Amino acid sequence: MVPIVTAFRLPKQGYSIEECDDAFAYELGALRFAIADGATESAFSDRWAQSLVKAYITEPPFGMPPSEDAMMLWLLPLQDEWRRGIDWASLPWYCQEKAENGAFATFLALEFGTHGTVWEKIIGRTLQGEELKWHAFAVGDSNLFQVRDDQMIATFPVARSTEFSSRPILLASNENHNYSALRDIRAAAGGVKQGDRFFLATDALAKWFLERHEAGEKPWQELLALQTEEEFAVLTERLRKDQGVRNDDMTLVVIRWEGES
Amino acid sequence: MPYSAEISRANPSVFMFLIDQSGSMVEPIAGSENKRKCDSVADAINRLLHNLIIKCARGDGVRNFYEVCVIGYGATVAPAFSGPLAGRDLVPLSEVASSPARIEERVRKVDDGSGGIIEQKVKFPIWFEPVAKGITPMGTALNMACKILREWVSRHMASYPPIVINISDGEATDSGPVPQAQELTSLATDDGNVLLLNCHISSQPVQPIIFPETDADLPDEFAKTLFSISSVLPASMRELALAEGFNLGPEARGFAFNADLVELIRFLDIGTRGSNLR
Repeated sequence: MVPIVTAFRLPKQGYSIEECDDAFAYELGALRFAIADGATESAFSDRWAQSLVKAYITEPPFGMPPSEDAMMLWLLPLQDEWRRGIDWASLPWYCQEKAENGAFATFLALEFGTHGTVWEKIIGRTLQGEELKWHAFAVGDSNLFQVRDDQMIATFPVARSTEFSSRPILLASNENHNYSALRDIRAAAGGVKQGDRFFLATDALAKWFLERHEAGEKPWQELLALQTEEEFAVLTERLRKDQGVRNDDMTLVVIRWEGES
Repeated sequence: MPYSAEISRANPSVFMFLIDQSGSMVEPIAGSENKRKCDSVADAINRLLHNLIIKCARGDGVRNFYEVCVIGYGATVAPAFSGPLAGRDLVPLSEVASSPARIEERVRKVDDGSGGIIEQKVKFPIWFEPVAKGITPMGTALNMACKILREWVSRHMASYPPIVINISDGEATDSGPVPQAQELTSLATDDGNVLLLNCHISSQPVQPIIFPETDADLPDEFAKTLFSISSVLPASMRELALAEGFNLGPEARGFAFNADLVELIRFLDIGTRGSNLR
């Protein structure tokens, strides 16, 4: 069984891709995937979001899910790097003050592997025909969906479209602003079968996904049909225009588990 | 749905402040020890502009989500920015950010995280200086606002409509404010009419009345007049006020009577905290 991955990223309408504050990264050797949604209202949140996803795929925090302390330790060098990447002296007073508050981002991490109890490893998964397990953890409202046999079987961490708010919990580049976020790390896990599809999406797209699903539709079918950036841009434009999807940065990562040929 | 347009660089909105600079503004404001009303208002406006700039700042500068205008009325009726922006009416926010008259250093007491209080130096930029001289030509000020915004609205029909906040401590001495206010709030973009919020500030330590639905509890004709020209709050602003702990109904108007210093700042905060920035 091998993963086939497609990924797309688009800025808000009226903005350039350099101004997009979403980020994604994946590493097929380690089977790690991550997305992050930098808060538009903070400064340099694009760099913060990029730094989170890149660090996760190369050197993830200890534990799945990581403890509050493990997460704090993992963030320290990233926070330091973020601060050192700013040319403070050249910033006018208002950009300095903004940057002192720090950058903020949601974070969703997904890993495939064989974590689990011995019992699960030997018996459990074989009984269900599941070859792998997935483990995810999240801060904020970037979301994961699992689809099997054309049915959604998991949604994490947001379960209903009405749960999206304009004030999600965010990871901060300023460690003084992370107390509540670190206490709110959510985690989930499940099995993987050949043919399963996983979708990682930032909030505007994830909210649309859940709304359509709640209306009895199968929104993943449209997403699975996407082949190119251009097709993703066309879909995004249509969702914003016709289906009331918020003008926001949009990121989508699709993972298809296929048989080895 | 009106009052739902996204505020973006392509479709900016406007904050306009009309500030009473009449002689009575030298009296102390309620809720503050001997601080003159004109000083309290100047501090509140400067702080509000500061917050707005930080809110719209990114790593690479300030995004022009708003144009800002401050008009003073007293001995004269005129744009009231000091320093490099003197004489200008509508100014894009990025230019406001880069052109304060001066930057003061003030001391702020903050929690040190372990139960103590430490003093921290903070930058306090000044764009607007206190003035208290002359009469209260509120009608003329509303006329000037109308003239500036008529032209702006015609060029920004897709924008969130301008928000005008009038801060005064007393009755108009000219023919205002009713006909002028009606003309001002008849201006509209495709997203809704110009919003007019009125804040009466007080020297008296009496209970303020904020965001009322009727004029039944208002003490005099002057208060009822200001109530009558205040816009009904759009849903988004009402929700914000509810979330901030104000008690208000569906017909609540953008009006504060006998506001003390604390209520003035809360009122301005609700009036200027747009949530739909893109």
